[in-house]
This record gives sequence, C-alpha cells and structure tokens, in this order.
Amino acid sequence: MVPGNSEEPVAPKSPSPESCNDPYLRCAFHGAALTALGVAGSALLAHSPQGCEYLVNNAFATQECDYMETMTLCTKLCVDEIVHGGEDILARTIREVKGLKISALFVISACGPEIVGDDIVAVCESLQPEVKFRLVPIASPGFRGSQYDGIDIALDTMLKKLVDGSAGKVPGSVCLIAPHANANPTWPADLAWVKQTLARMGIPVVATLTHKTPLSEVVNAASAETSLVLSHDAGQKAANFLSATYGIEQVCREIPLPIGMTNTQRWLAALGERFDRQKTAEEMVAEGERMVTTTCRRKWPMGRFLYRTPAAIVADATVGIPLVRFVTEEMEMTPELVALYSSQRPMRDLLERELNSLGLTPKVMYGTDVYRTRQGLREVSPRVVFGSTIERHAAEGLGIPYIVEVVRIMRQFRMINREYFGYTGILNLVECIQNEWTMAWRSKERRYEAKW
Amino acid sequence: MNNESIVFHGNLQQLLEKVETGEMIPKLQASHAPMCKFFTAYYVISGIRHVVPLVHGPTGCPLYMSDFVRTRECCETRGVPLEPTACTTLDESNVIYGGEGKLLEAVKEAYAKYHPDLIVILSCCCSGIISDDVESIAREAEKLVGCRVLALKSEGFGGDFRSGYEDAFKLIMDLMDPPETTMKGTINILGARWGPTPTEFNWDLDEIERLLTAIGIKVNAVIAGGCTVEQIKHAREVELNASWCYDWGQKLGDLMQERFGVPYSKTGQPYGPAATREWLLGVATPLGMEKEALEVIEREMKEVEPDLAYLKEILSGKTAIIEISEFPGPIRALSLARMAEEFGAHPVVINVHPYTIKERMPSIRYILGTGVNPEIILTKGLFHLGSFRSSKETEDELESIVREYDNPIFFGNSGRFPPCPVVNLTLMNPAFQPQYGFKGIKNIAALVRQALENRNLPRSRLFRGMLYGTGKQ
Repeated sequence: MVPGNSEEPVAPKSPSPESCNDPYLRCAFHGAALTALGVAGSALLAHSPQGCEYLVNNAFATQECDYMETMTLCTKLCVDEIVHGGEDILARTIREVKGLKISALFVISACGPEIVGDDIVAVCESLQPEVKFRLVPIASPGFRGSQYDGIDIALDTMLKKLVDGSAGKVPGSVCLIAPHANANPTWPADLAWVKQTLARMGIPVVATLTHKTPLSEVVNAASAETSLVLSHDAGQKAANFLSATYGIEQVCREIPLPIGMTNTQRWLAALGERFDRQKTAEEMVAEGERMVTTTCRRKWPMGRFLYRTPAAIVADATVGIPLVRFVTEEMEMTPELVALYSSQRPMRDLLERELNSLGLTPKVMYGTDVYRTRQGLREVSPRVVFGSTIERHAAEGLGIPYIVEVVRIMRQFRMINREYFGYTGILNLVECIQNEWTMAWRSKERRYEAKW
Repeated sequence: MNNESIVFHGNLQQLLEKVETGEMIPKLQASHAPMCKFFTAYYVISGIRHVVPLVHGPTGCPLYMSDFVRTRECCETRGVPLEPTACTTLDESNVIYGGEGKLLEAVKEAYAKYHPDLIVILSCCCSGIISDDVESIAREAEKLVGCRVLALKSEGFGGDFRSGYEDAFKLIMDLMDPPETTMKGTINILGARWGPTPTEFNWDLDEIERLLTAIGIKVNAVIAGGCTVEQIKHAREVELNASWCYDWGQKLGDLMQERFGVPYSKTGQPYGPAATREWLLGVATPLGMEKEALEVIEREMKEVEPDLAYLKEILSGKTAIIEISEFPGPIRALSLARMAEEFGAHPVVINVHPYTIKERMPSIRYILGTGVNPEIILTKGLFHLGSFRSSKETEDELESIVREYDNPIFFGNSGRFPPCPVVNLTLMNPAFQPQYGFKGIKNIAALVRQALENRNLPRSRLFRGMLYGTGKQ
C-alpha cells in the first residue's frame, strides 16, 4: 500500500464517511478558548449558551489554569438572545466584570451568536473605553472547523490585534508557537523541555503562544528573530504570518518534533546549526542518549521483547508522526497502521517523507474518526496500539493484547507532567509500554484461595 | 443571627415564594453555568442500550459527550462498551445551505455502521437556528432503516438543563407500545438520567432493588439507566411506576399517568427510616403487597436498631447544618434535612441556590407538602461572580455561620472546613454507600460516628489550600 494514499474504505459497500462521524477533535470554539486561556492574567468570556462553557472548562484544565487566578465567564444565551440578538447581553456582561483585575478579556463567540450575526467586534470596540483591560474579540464558532482551526483563528486574531511590530529584534531569539496543540495529556512538560533546551543553548524565548504567557509577551512577539512551531497540527499559519509580516524565520521546519532518539538528535542539530550552537547540541545528544541507554540497562524495559510486533499509532500528528520513527527504531516494532486525527497537507507530506525514509508501508488514515479507527484496527490486526483510552475500549473484541495509552488518557491522571519530547520523554514512553506490558500479563483469576 | 453575609434567612416555603416572585433570582449573567439542554437530553438518551445518539451539529457538542460520557464514564465505570457518539459535523457551508440532506444520509450511515436498536437525532444550536427540520427527517429516515428514528429538539439555547432531561423522558414515551398484558407485581423505576447506572457503584438503586425483591416486587426497566428499547416498549404493562429520586422521576411519572393511566407512586427519597418506609409502602400498597412490605420493613428495622439508637442519641438537640453543593445535590440535602429532624436535630440548610429552587419547583412543592420545611440560609458568596463550587467566600461564610450555633454538626462534603464535626456525605466515596434505605441508615450512622469520634484530628492544610488558597497567593 502506498503511504499517504491509503484511505481505502474498509468495507466497499459502506456509505460515504462524510455524513456521520464519531470525531476525535473538538470544535473551533474549543481551540480558540484553549489558546486564549494560555494568556496569563486574562479572563475569558464565552458569548454562547451555557453548554459551551463546558468546552471552555475543558480548555481551562488543558491549559492548567488555576481558578484562583483565571476566571471564565459566559453570557448564557437563551432563546431571546437568539431571536433578538445577544449584543446587549454581551455588553451587560462585560460591564458586570469590568472590576476584574486582568490585562485582557477574550470574548469568544460560539455558533449561535455568529449565525444570528452578533457583532462582537463592534461591542468590544464600543466598550473598550469603559474598561481598564484589553477587550479581544475572537469569532470562532464551532462550525468554523476543528479545534486546530480554532487555535489558528485565535492566534491569528491575537497576532493581528495585539502585537506591536515596532519593537526591536532580540538577537538570536525565538517565539514558540502552539505548544498546546499537542495530545500529550501533560503537554506543558514538552514545552518545559523545549524551554530548558533553548536556555541551555543560550537562545532567549521572546514569547510563547500560548501557555502562561503574559500579555506583554504576546505584544512583543514580533521582536523574535525566529519562530519554532511545537505542533504538527496547528500553528503553521501563525508562523507564516510572523514570517511574512515581521520577517521572523521559522526553524526546525519540516522535521518531526523531538520524540525518540533520532528525531531529538535531528531537531537539536537543526537548532544548533541555526543558532551556531552545534557543539552544545552535540553534547546534549551525547549526554541524553547515554542517560537513556544506561537507564534502560538498569531498569530493564520489557518492550524489547516486542521486536517487530505489528503496531498501530492512533494519535494527533504532533505525537503520532514522531512516534512512527520511535516505534520503528527504538522500540523495534513495525507500524502497520497510522491513523491521525487531522489531515492538513504539510503534515501529510511530513509523514510520507518519514515513511519513505524508514521504508515502511503501513495503512495510513488521515482525519480518522472512532468508527474508521476501529475498522482499521480490525483490518490490520496489530498486536500493539499506541493511542488513547478510546482505542482501549474501541478495540474490545479485536484481540489486541496491548493498548499503550499515550494520548487523551481519560483513565489515568498524572500529577507530575511528563514530556514525550527529548530524552526523559523517551523514558516516559518506555514506561508507558512497560506498564501496559505488565497489565497485559497480570493474572485476572486465581487458581485457588490462600489459607491465611 | 446577626451576620452581614446573610442575604436570606427563613424557611423553604418563604424562599420558594421569593423565587416565584423573581425577588431571589441571581442577576449576574456571567455567574455559574450549569449544563445546557443538549447535554442533559444526551445524558438521558445515552441511558438506553444500543442507541445511536446522532448529534446534528458541529464537533464541539458531541465531543464533550464522547470523552466524558461515552468513554470516561460509560466505559470506565458504568460497564458499558464504547458506543458511538455520532455527529453530522456541520460546517460553514451546511450552516448557510442547510444540513437536512446530510442528516438523512447520516441516519442511513449510522444504521449501516452501528446496527442500533434506536437512533435519536439531537439538534444543537446550529441546526436549531438554521431550522433544519429534524423531526421530519427522522420520520423520513425511519422508512429507510431497520430501527426507530426519533428526533429531539435539544438546542443548547432552547432551555435549561432541566428541560433537556424532561424532553428526553417525554420522547422516550413515544417508544412505549400499548400494553398487551399486565406484568403483575412489576414496576418501572423512573428518573435515571445520567446514562446507564454504574456497574461498580450502583449503590442506591441496588438498595431499592434489594428491598423490592425481598417484598416480591419485580422491576421491568430503570428508565433510562441502562434499559433496553424492548423494556421501554413494554413499560406500559407494569402495574406502577416509582422513582429513585422524586425530583427526576416525577415528570415522566406524571406524564405516564396522564397519558397511559399507569399510576405513579409519589414518594420522596428513602433517606432514614420514615422516608424508606413511605417509599416501600408507596410502591407495595398499590400492588396489594402491603403485608409483605411491612414484614420486610420490620425485619430490616431490627437490623438497624443499634444505628437508629445511636443516631437518635447523637443528633437529638443538635443543629444539623446541611449544605447543598455538588455532592450531595439539593434534593438529597432536603431529604437529609428530613432525616435529621426525624432523629431530633434541628436542620438548617445552607446555600440552596435559588436557581436550583426555580428549576425544581414541582419537587420543592411536593417536599413542602410532606411537611418538610427546613430553615434556610443563603449567603452573599452564593451570588458572587464565577463558580460557586469551591468559593472562598462561601467557605468563610459557612464557617462564620457555624460558629453562631451551639452543638452544630455539618452534613455536606469534606470540601468544607467548618469548626464542627463534618459528616462526609459525598457520593464520590463508595466506601459508605448507599445512603438510601436501611443500608443507608447504617452507612450514615457510620459517617456520623466517624465525624464525631475524629472531630479533633487535624484537617488537611493541603486540601484546604488547594480549594481556597493559602492566603499567601
């Protein structure tokens, strides 16, 4: 099967997959909320019915916001506002919260008010003189697309409305983009690893778009010399905008994110080369690989027994694409199914290059949904799945012994954030495999009862 | 009581009157957002086995349900296989040109993919505003597939959380066939609304079923707590409907009585001996099984005699401060108030949100009709901006109110730190469940004992700091 060209219907007679989906991805409204909540010292006002507030709550948790610091609000639109318009209630709600000590209030509109034509930009403009914080309207109704589209919409609005292009450049600096478009359930650890790495190389971070980012950082984003997109699913449009508008060069473009030894080595080398820190990069690679190797020698991972076991990867592109090489090289398994939540062209091209480079020809599914994933698993019959709690349950009855939950984990909750990026990230992934191996072997029944 | 933080101090009847006249309704638009109509409708529908809830909307609405209800709850704790959360993924083009054609295709596709016993189309804000005729599409689609197809207009803006539950229950009535026979000594239990009941922690329902079985009463269906379409079809063949929670069962119970003539046993939640007796006799007497029920009650009362004696001894003359928060909810708290009074305590219910009263008028009126009219205190913090779940204001106010009572005991959950014994009645700790029935009496007695015997042990600075801050932030 040709990589990247393999979206053949599982059952030839099944109807078009266009009408009925069981999606993995949330909507654009959620993505915009996720992005806005990454701005520290701000609040978010959902101009929506009260149910959409739950998407905000989920974004709130994903961005690790603290309810002692960040407030989320909702206009709680009802029939009246849908019939007569909700601009008055939006204005009233903004006035209700004008005493908040915040730097910005992001006003995000959902499907209802966008369809009925509420002009949130006009409301925010007219009320701006009344409040001490910035009002930032973001029109990102759910029907505009997936959560990744919402992230791009929100980043676009922020960059266009908030960035001060007159600030001078910070030499050798970087702006980090879309760290939150990452299905690692504790993705802030990936961002932390990137920041530590950059700090060691002496590369200043001018802005992170977005996670615990002060508004002043967003305003100064144009002073970065380079940008680094930390997702294969979103953020590329923001990098393109920064490049076109402020001449900010994107680094580490078109290579997989640093998951696994080879990807990390390649990513660090690219950084080292761009910032003339080759020696530091080489040292980091040597130290990191030594640490991972010796740790594995001492901890004895059982994943080594899964040599060339057929595997499936069901994830976002950010984790899923780099996992292909990690699973193939480091873990010595054989990816036979790669199912990714999204389907943008640059991401497809990247995956195809990786598959060609590795000489792999798995079944590839872009923009998969739960039904298609299950059908894909049924067809391919992998023995190991790198995926989520959804696949653990969707794979029931398919005889798959190992479901390694690495993304969207709903059962386990990690109190300590764990990265997948970099060298400790490799160990974290190895640990996921180790635990799943143990669970699969755990006796489910007792042959007899103890006497004591 | 002279406490500046108090905005209402009276009884339940007086609060109800203030809510009815609009005097006591929170005005802050930004404050406290419970689930929307779509969510709650979805919850009820997902309690039917082999159903495809087909969401006619963009991906945001079903995704919450997919993650939270289907995967996390159903698969992880409710013993249910992963079922689809199908969606038409409405996009900008559908919003402009309409999505009815796509919906019809989606129904056919859903049937081909999932082989369900029932498909329920749920409309969202988008499809509601653009006026896609989901009901006509359902009728049309039903001719093309091998199962019933129903439609529920459940736009998030179209009502509050309660209307979603109630409209879904009403819709379920459309599945009920005219009775061909009468199932003697059989009832339906109504009002299960959070999807299928959990397999691991089916506490209160298990206790009800245990007592019913002891009397000799059978249950046809728990609607909609994991029932089948077949059970719903036969729901009119039972002799009686009862509810596991008066508040949630009453609408469906009343409607089935009105439309189908199936009598409905109106009783409150079985908290404590009197309410449990009422609940059981309320079911057994119309079925002609009063004698059997009285025998069971007598036997069970003997079992819990030491617990009853303990509760009477400990609670007599005390003030039971009962707070409504996430767990237990408002109706349970009022049931607890009744129980506390039964054991000689004076119940004071703190911070039952006026929104809650407004949404539960029929149930509150019923509770008042049974003679339960506890003292109620509402504080300023309840009306502050933002979430009222773990607010520092309401915690401070609670602590201050508790100090003004002699011998108070707090009935609520362990997220509160009042300076008195705390009876942890959260439903999130399976170690002391159920709270219903006679087993519930044992468990509540054990929780009261824990609270009193351990009252001098230090509380967690960690959890307190987590919930309310350390004061240094």
